Amino acid sequence: MNYKLGDTILYLDKVSLGYPDTNHPDGYNVILKDVSLIERNVVRDNIEHTGQTIAFVGRSGRGKSTLFKALTGLVKPIDGKVLITDLATDDTEDAKEVTEGDVGYVDQKYTLFRHKTMYQIFMYALRKKTYLTKEEKNNIIINHLTEWGLLEHKDKYSCELSGGQRQRTAIVEQLLSSKCFMVLDEPFSGLDVGNIEKAKSTFNKVLSANELNTIIFSTHDVSLAVELADSIYVIGRPQGVDDYSTIVKHYDLKENGLAWTEFGEGHLRLVNEIKQILMNS
Amino acid sequence: MKIFKPFEVLKRSNKITIFTGWFMLLISIWVGCSFGDRHLFPTPSQVLMGFKDLWAGGLVVHIGSSIWLCTQAVFISTVISLILAYTSTIPFIKPSSNFISKLRYLPLTGITFYLSILINDARSLQVWVLVIFMTTFLTTSLMSMIKDIPEEEFNHAKTQGCNRWEILWEVVIKGRFDYVFELIRQNLAIVWMMLVTVESILVAAGGLGFLIKNNNKLGDNGKVIALQIIIVLLGITLDFCITKVRKLSFRYSNF
Repeated sequence: MNYKLGDTILYLDKVSLGYPDTNHPDGYNVILKDVSLIERNVVRDNIEHTGQTIAFVGRSGRGKSTLFKALTGLVKPIDGKVLITDLATDDTEDAKEVTEGDVGYVDQKYTLFRHKTMYQIFMYALRKKTYLTKEEKNNIIINHLTEWGLLEHKDKYSCELSGGQRQRTAIVEQLLSSKCFMVLDEPFSGLDVGNIEKAKSTFNKVLSANELNTIIFSTHDVSLAVELADSIYVIGRPQGVDDYSTIVKHYDLKENGLAWTEFGEGHLRLVNEIKQILMNS
Repeated sequence: MKIFKPFEVLKRSNKITIFTGWFMLLISIWVGCSFGDRHLFPTPSQVLMGFKDLWAGGLVVHIGSSIWLCTQAVFISTVISLILAYTSTIPFIKPSSNFISKLRYLPLTGITFYLSILINDARSLQVWVLVIFMTTFLTTSLMSMIKDIPEEEFNHAKTQGCNRWEILWEVVIKGRFDYVFELIRQNLAIVWMMLVTVESILVAAGGLGFLIKNNNKLGDNGKVIALQIIIVLLGITLDFCITKVRKLSFRYSNF
């Protein structure tokens, strides 16, 4: 399928991440080192909004969650920069260093405010949109609730929702607070087959809502990563290194002709190739 | 036998049987230990008689006095503890909150000495002894509650664009308000247990503590045990009421 690459939307320049450690000579226990990547806006012919789906795969303890915290501004890099499109300006070429609140983040537990009902959660997510009246906010929320099949649960607290409902609520909450970037840490873990299918359609809904919408997710299921993503990063330990991780391989599925197509032989070969890399990193 | 296996889930009827068995055993021990020359407890009839005498002597007024004293102390110490615990999230304030928490190891004698210099009114002295006692424990529990909030909840609030004060308000204060009720319930036992000691400071104000001390001095064991039973039952009732209020006020409070 024909596609064009637009402005850079995500840029990581030699990012190193770690935690303060007084026992370490540098004062830091480095988890990830020299992580660099560039992701650009993807535009496809005859498709209104393509969006970007970026997957991170890696074995446990390789720093995926730490990297995601850096992508969301929750953790400051020891070194390097994380830049995203500055949505506050009209110029899509403008970039800014990511800070807390710029990027939506849905963790593995689908954390929500425990003392708010679903409706209250969404109303809170819209609180900074002061140009909207209460009536307008209400209409937006009702539309989202209807579209995402959550209307009948609007007065429920997070503890009263099922796993799938919590996940959708967490995603809609992030969407309502106007974030084009959404980071999902292992969104498929603990979901049954039916809910995985629902999560996939959730991805499509998010991506088709806005051209700049970008989903960044991690998973241990390499097949799902290959099926859903148009860009895959493999995080692991470089050859001969055992104290930090980095990006050991990047696959651009757009270039390979595997993005936006039915899962087939080519995808299967890629799955096996990635699994081999994971085993050695 | 299922009832002797760990983690077995029993039918309601089995639970009632077990409870009845234990209750009967307790009564048997009581009755068994209340006869003979060197009996340990007063007989049930002596306790019942003691209860009737206490009732006739204005027991309700004394219960009211104790509950009012307890309510004042719990209210004041909750306000102080909440301020100390919430402000403990501010690095500059944290050492002072930690210090108050550590005061729970200070003996009561040490505290009452200084309080009696500062406060002339005996009733206020009673209240403040209880307040200081409960505040040290409640502050410790509240600070521990804040420390136990999962990092994910703070991160979630940050990704919602909350500033640090909004995080304190939404995640800690509003998000954990139901826990405050639970911690008050747990710490109420400390105040309730201290009643006897504290109410002996001011005899004129009466109260269950005064009654138990007075009857103990007179050697009226029937009344003493009757009062012990009343104090325990009132404590359990208050405990139950606080849990009910929490469950009714906060639907999401599912612990």
